Amino acid sequence: MERLPIPKYVFNFWFIFILIVGFLPPLILNFSVLKGLISSLLSLHTIFLSILIEALPFVLIGILIAGFIQIFITEEHIQRWIPRNTLMAVIMSCLVGALFPACECGIVPIVRRLIAKGVPIHAAIGFMLTGPLINPIVILSTYMAFGNNFKIAILRMIIGFVIAIIVALLISLFFKGSQFKGSLHPPSSSINTQTPSFITKLLNMFKHAIDEFFDMGKYLIIGAFLAAFVQTYVSTKTLVEIGDGLSTSILVMMSLAFILSLCSEADAFIGASFNAIFSTPSILAFLIFGPMIDLKNTIMLMSVFRLKFVLTLVALVATVVYFSILILSAYL
Amino acid sequence: MKFHFQQALRALMLLAFSAMIASLHWTEELTKFINPKYESLSQTASILFFILFLVQLTRVVSLSKTTQHCHDTGQACCSHHDHGQSVFTRKKIISYLIIMTPIITGFFVPAKILDAAIADKKGGAFILTQQSQKSKIEDYLTTNETIDENIYDEHDPDPRLIEEKQEMTKKQYEQLKQKLAQQTTLKMTDDDYTIYYEEINQHLANYLGKQIQLKGFVLKEESFTENQLVISRFLITHCVADASIVGFLTEFPEATTITEDTWIEVIGTIGQTTYEGASLPVIHIDDWVTIEQPESPYLYPITIRMSF
Repeated sequence: MERLPIPKYVFNFWFIFILIVGFLPPLILNFSVLKGLISSLLSLHTIFLSILIEALPFVLIGILIAGFIQIFITEEHIQRWIPRNTLMAVIMSCLVGALFPACECGIVPIVRRLIAKGVPIHAAIGFMLTGPLINPIVILSTYMAFGNNFKIAILRMIIGFVIAIIVALLISLFFKGSQFKGSLHPPSSSINTQTPSFITKLLNMFKHAIDEFFDMGKYLIIGAFLAAFVQTYVSTKTLVEIGDGLSTSILVMMSLAFILSLCSEADAFIGASFNAIFSTPSILAFLIFGPMIDLKNTIMLMSVFRLKFVLTLVALVATVVYFSILILSAYL
Repeated sequence: MKFHFQQALRALMLLAFSAMIASLHWTEELTKFINPKYESLSQTASILFFILFLVQLTRVVSLSKTTQHCHDTGQACCSHHDHGQSVFTRKKIISYLIIMTPIITGFFVPAKILDAAIADKKGGAFILTQQSQKSKIEDYLTTNETIDENIYDEHDPDPRLIEEKQEMTKKQYEQLKQKLAQQTTLKMTDDDYTIYYEEINQHLANYLGKQIQLKGFVLKEESFTENQLVISRFLITHCVADASIVGFLTEFPEATTITEDTWIEVIGTIGQTTYEGASLPVIHIDDWVTIEQPESPYLYPITIRMSF
């Protein structure tokens, strides 16, 4: 039995947090500053809880699906379903992701369970990238947010799909194996030869879901806290003011997508509100990058994968999105 | 018989999550966090937590001395997985503390209504100049068909929302819009605020000189002149984290005496002005009054059902 190691930064983070909250106010000794600080902390708390309340239903659905995969789907199934050819496997997994409605935090436990069941890493990543980005709700909310215009919605889906395939293929070049944190024991053949009853299986599915929740929960909470912290203390105005010229504005919108950690069904409205400040390509970068990678789900990925893998994945997605949009911007 | 402390702790936390969401719902605090339209989704989460709690209860006490660990799954064992059987370590205590944080604060720390400080972080009045050119953020579209197939919206719409016209068909929406446009005095209520807002920003010329009555909280910018302020509201699509600002720039002499975050209700005439190079509507105030912060301070987008 392995315990999940918690990265050192968690301790540092809370240490710094307690330091700021506990010791800074008396040092400043200024009533109005203190009042402002308390007020902003309450706002921070409200945003933090709201992100959590918004995400929890999706995370619960995610862990239940993960539990379902663990109990009801065998390695043999996976072996039969996933094509041997890397390109075919990636395209198939991206298609499955596109048909599968999920959000970027609920999909992490599912991906982890799929990889544990023997799905190759590139296929799992392809699925993870298209899952939250391409689904009916996202298409419709994007369509509506941009003035009943299908152009942005369709571009978002098509470019996002191609980018997901490219990233998954790159992952297949660089990484083999599960990339899980800690060592993954080779899957042992079933010890128990008799098949348990359906009820037992169902119960086990829920038990796995519970374990999954306690594995993921803390990362979701830290991710939500960081996203809320950024929303409370970092002004988008400063970011927006940097964004001058095409290449920087794409970068600005991508960083905005990363730090805001919005749910992919709601981000179209925020994206649209920047429509007049920024050009279409940078808005598209915001809409494509956000559902694939953001602050909240990066923290959650760190709970599953090696730090090196997570950082490479984030860098790869960011680079591919950035250059694809930059190159395509001439035609948009 | 063996009592597993850690399993009991986990059971307690699952129950607490369920109870926290349920209590936020009962006290109607939940609307301060999320769009009421998604409340049933949170209720589902509360119920799921409760089911998980019931399942977890079966693990608290084991009859035999052997650990039940995944031998009963009849499947390959998952090795990198914490089943809550291993010993307590400092790391585990911290991770449980992290999970308990939102439960405790959720019960004891009151929700705060977003204020001007947050509005400023979200771009402040600068955002308004953009909306006047491209104002489409307020419509949210879903179709009946996808709702049925989709895990996001498996619930029926709250009948209250339909009563309050928060959900309507495209045709009804257009009719309502026309009806509103013909009125000489625009009285903006929470239900039709977004319709007026979109209309006025898109077809300002049609509304110049009309009387308007609305309420909102005061937002100021450093670049404003002394007699300027924005009467603003937060529009919430899903949860307060995605709140965006809507509102109107106003001009009147007493503006300088009103502090930020004060809720006011005003009657005025719609005009046109330029701010930071953008043309946008302005309200010249005829009469104004300070009001209490309303029960429901947020606005929610109107869902337009498309009938295919």
